[in-house]
Amino acid sequence: MARQPARWVLLAYRLPREPSTPRIAVWRKLRRLGAAQVLDGLAALPLDARNREQLEWLAEEVADAGGDATIWVGELASARQERELAARMAGAVAADYLALAAEAAAAREQPPGQRRRTLGRLRRELRRIRSRDYFPPPECEQAQQALNELVALVEEPVP
Amino acid sequence: MRWATRRHCHVDRAACAWLIRRFVDADAEFVFVDDPDEVPPGATPFDMRGVDLSHHGGNCSFETFLHRYELADPVLWEIAKIVHEADLADERYDAPEASGLDVLLRGLSMVRDDDELLELSAPLFDGLYEYRKRALLSGREPA
Repeated sequence: MARQPARWVLLAYRLPREPSTPRIAVWRKLRRLGAAQVLDGLAALPLDARNREQLEWLAEEVADAGGDATIWVGELASARQERELAARMAGAVAADYLALAAEAAAAREQPPGQRRRTLGRLRRELRRIRSRDYFPPPECEQAQQALNELVALVEEPVP
Repeated sequence: MRWATRRHCHVDRAACAWLIRRFVDADAEFVFVDDPDEVPPGATPFDMRGVDLSHHGGNCSFETFLHRYELADPVLWEIAKIVHEADLADERYDAPEASGLDVLLRGLSMVRDDDELLELSAPLFDGLYEYRKRALLSGREPA
């Protein structure tokens, strides 16, 4: 069966070394979007309308900061490299999910009021990780499970 | 006046269109294009790469409109925070309404075309304006 390659949207950008603030701002935003840094100055995201638009705004931001940026749409020529890229992106969010699961487990020892606040914060954090997760790893389920256990504990009536 | 923006509108463009009709140009007419090169002559483009009324310095287009047209109404700035977070979610502002607004408009854009989307979302923004205005006047969330 012929391979149906995944399509990607890429941001190729160059920013002046100094000042460093715009460089850091762009880096932070790419991380928040879950983009894979293919090379220094080349970031990739699975192609969809939202990702394409977000990268276009980042390109604009790069231009406003005195750099230059172009947006590309493309696919990887090899299925293996495509799998590797997806695995690398999944690995990055997997670490975030595990950290969240560990925090949720630790929160079970907290006093009830604090536990409830931690739950609220972790729920928001899970939503944030999900929004940058394009290839959900098994650790996603693990984080959700750890959070569910915390929910059950928070909802338990205080004796 | 004619205004042009990208097809398949989402929250920022819908909010800008509402802002244009209510505060800038009551007779505004909107055209939707696929590429900045397709903007008809005489039309003012917004929320597109490379145009003035668009994202700048980390601001969304709605915020840029408020700056360019010197709209100092504090209620509009409250709405700008929500639109910014719904569009960019970069946590520059604390706007818990944003994720709800994002989903509502994203869903609406799946079942309606751009003209209908602007028509249906305008009363939503009117309501948001009224709500935020009352909140600002009373200093608490209105019931």
